[in-house]
Amino acid sequence: MNIVVCMKETPSITSVKGFTTDMRLERRKEDAEINPFDEYAIEEGLRQQEKHGGQVTALCMGPATATENIRKALAMGADRGALVTDPALEGSDAIGTARVLAAALKKLGFDLVIFGSAAADSYGGVVPAAVAEFLGQPLLSYASKLEIADGSVKIERAAESGYQVAEATLPALVSVIQTINTPRYPTMKGIMGSKRKPIDTFSLADLGIDAGQVGVAGAREKATSASPVDTERKGEIYMGNDGAADRIVAYLVEQKVL
Amino acid sequence: MANDVWALAEIANGKLTTVSLQVASKAAELAGQLGVSSAAVALGTNTAAAATELGAVGVKTVYAADGAVYDDYLVQPHVETLAALVEQHQPAVIFFAVSNYGRDVAARLAARFGLGLEYNVSDATIEGGALTVTVPAFDGAQLVKAVFVGGGTKLVGARPNAFEVNRVGGTAEVVSVAAASAPANGAKLSAPIGAADAGAAGHLAKAADGHEYWQPSASQPKLEEAQIIVSGGRGLGGPAAFAQVEDLANALGASLGASRPAVDDGWIPYAYQVGQTGKTVKPAVYIAVGISGAVQHKSGMSSSKLIIAINKDKDAPIFGFCDLGVVGDLNVVVPQLTAKVKQRKGS
Ligand SMILES: Cc1cc2nc3c(=O)[nH]c(=O)nc-3n(C[C@H](O)[C@H](O)[C@H](O)COP(=O)(O)OP(=O)(O)OC[C@H]3O[C@@H](n4cnc5c(N)ncnc54)[C@H](O)[C@@H]3O)c2cc1C
Ligand SMILES: Nc1ncnc2c1ncn2[C@@H]1O[C@H](COP(=O)(O)O)[C@@H](O)[C@H]1O
Repeated sequence: MNIVVCMKETPSITSVKGFTTDMRLERRKEDAEINPFDEYAIEEGLRQQEKHGGQVTALCMGPATATENIRKALAMGADRGALVTDPALEGSDAIGTARVLAAALKKLGFDLVIFGSAAADSYGGVVPAAVAEFLGQPLLSYASKLEIADGSVKIERAAESGYQVAEATLPALVSVIQTINTPRYPTMKGIMGSKRKPIDTFSLADLGIDAGQVGVAGAREKATSASPVDTERKGEIYMGNDGAADRIVAYLVEQKVL
Repeated sequence: MANDVWALAEIANGKLTTVSLQVASKAAELAGQLGVSSAAVALGTNTAAAATELGAVGVKTVYAADGAVYDDYLVQPHVETLAALVEQHQPAVIFFAVSNYGRDVAARLAARFGLGLEYNVSDATIEGGALTVTVPAFDGAQLVKAVFVGGGTKLVGARPNAFEVNRVGGTAEVVSVAAASAPANGAKLSAPIGAADAGAAGHLAKAADGHEYWQPSASQPKLEEAQIIVSGGRGLGGPAAFAQVEDLANALGASLGASRPAVDDGWIPYAYQVGQTGKTVKPAVYIAVGISGAVQHKSGMSSSKLIIAINKDKDAPIFGFCDLGVVGDLNVVVPQLTAKVKQRKGS
C-alpha cells in the first residue's frame, strides 16, 4: 500500500498574524508548523500502514525550509518526505496548489492519498477536491472513520443525524476530520530516526508545470484591502448565582425573545 | 444566457437546504443590480419543489436534473451536470454555500476550468463595476476585500447565514436537463445510518467503542437555521450534563450546540460543533454555557444578534464579547433558568 499524506505548513495558531505589502498572509519561518488538521491525516496514514503495510510519504508544497516540518512527520513515523518548492510558487491560490500537488502525486504514484479537512490559515477545505479533479479520481471527503479492504476504501462521514458511508475503489483520495483519531507525539527514537529518512525535493520544472499557472501569476483572486473588525461587546456582567436566572429571563423579556 | 448570476442549490435528503435559499437570494439580488438574469442549478430528488422555493426568492430560471445518481454518489455526477451547463451558458458568477457539498463541487469545477474561487465569503457587492467579496481572516479579526483576476465564471462560496433569504415572490422557469450517468470510478454513498429517529428525545447513547455521548433530539431545528442556540463547552464536565443544556434549549425552542473540546472528547457528535472548524451560526440569541470564548469558537458565532454567557471564571474571554454575562456556576444557573423559562412560557 503506497500512502501519500498531504501536509501544509501553516503559521501556528497562536502566532501574531499580519499581511505582506501585497495583501497576502505573512508566513514567518519561526511560526511555521504542520497544519494541525494534517496531523490527523499523517496519523491515519500511519495507522493504515500498520494494518496493511507499504509506505507512507509526507508531501508538502512550501518554502525550502518546510523540510523541518516534513521531518516532524517523519519523526511521527512516515517513511519519506517529498517537498515541492520553487520561488515561482509563492502566492499560489488553492487551485494552483492543487495543480502542483496533483502533478507531484502523479510522479510519486499512490494507492491512497490522505488530506486534512482544511488548512488552518484560510480554512478553505477546497484543495482535496481540486486535486481529485486534476487526477480524475474519487474523493471521499470529511472522513471520521476509514477502512481499507479488498482493494477499496470505505469511510464514515458525519451527517446531520447519524452518518453516511462512502466507498470507492483504490486508488482514491480521502480527507479526514478531527474526530478520526488522536495524533501521536513523536518518540525520541522517532526523532533520531527521522534524520536518516530521505526527503526528495521537486521544482516546477521537475513536475513539468508552467510557472504562469501557479504562484501570483496563476492566482485568479486578489485581495485589495483589509480592515480590523471590532467584535468586542461591552455587555452587562451579572455576578453570582443568586438571581442570575431571573436576570437572564428579564433580559430575554426586555429583548422580546420571551 | 452568458453573464448571468447563478446559485448552486443543494438538495440533502430530498430537501433544499436553507443556505441554498440564502445564496439564491443573493444571486437574484445581484442579477437585478447588474441588469442580467439569475438562475439556480438543482440536482437530485424533488427538484420541482426546490424550483418553487428558488423561484420565490426571485430566481428566474432553475436548471433541474432529477436522478437517483445524485444521491448515490458524492459530488462527481453533480460536477458533470454543472460543468456542462457552465460551458453552455457561461454565467458570470456562481454562488455556492460552503457546506461539505458546496466546497467539493466548486473546487472540482474551478480545477476543471481554471476558474477563480473565493470561499468563506461574508459579503459580495459590486464596487467600481467589479464583483468584490468580503472574507473574514485571522479568525474574524480582519475583514479582507478581494476581487477576481481574469475572465471566466467567478465562484463565490458564502458562509452560512452570510446572506438573508429574501422571499420577493416569483416563479422560476424550470429547464429540465438530463441526469448525469454514474461515474466510472465514483465515490459511492449510502443513506444516513444510525440516524436518530425524529421523535426521540435527547439521550445518552453508547458509541461503537463503548464510550457514552449525548445524542440530541433529532426534532430540533438545524444549527445553521436556528433562531436560538444554547451551546455547551468543556465546563459541562461530561456528556451527561448536556441533558441540562438540552432541557434549557427545549424550553426556549432552541437548538443545541457545542465547543470543540466537547466534540473532541466524544461528548456530542461533530455536527453540533460551532466555530472555525464547525458550523458558522448567526442566531438571534446565542447562549454559551461553560465555554471560555476562544477565537476559534468566537469566529463561528460572533455575528449572533445577542450573546449570553454563563461561566464561573470572571476573566473568561467570552465576557469581552457578550451582551449579558453571568459569572456563576452552570450547574446552579442553568436548571433554575430552565424552570423559570418554562414557568414564563406556561403562563
Ligand atoms: C485549528 C483549531 C481549530 C479550532 N476550531 C474550533 C471550533 O471550531 N470550535 C471551537 O469551539 N473551538 C475550536 N478550537 C478550540 C479552541 O481553541 C478552544 O480550545 C475551545 O473553543 C475551548 O472550548 P471551551 O470553551 O469549551 O473549553 P475551555 O476553554 O476549557 O473553557 C471551559 C470554560 O468552562 C468554564 N467552567 C468550568 N466549569 C464551570 C461551571 N461549573 N460553571 C460555569 N462555567 C464553568 C471555565 O471557566 C472555562 O471558561 C480550535 C482550535 C484550533 C487550534
Ligand atoms: N501547500 C500544501 N502542501 C501540501 N498539502 C496541502 C497544501 N495545501 C493544502 N494541502 C492539503 O489540502 C488540505 C486542505 O487544504 P485547504 O483546501 O487549503 O484548506 C490540507 O489539510 C492539506 O492536506
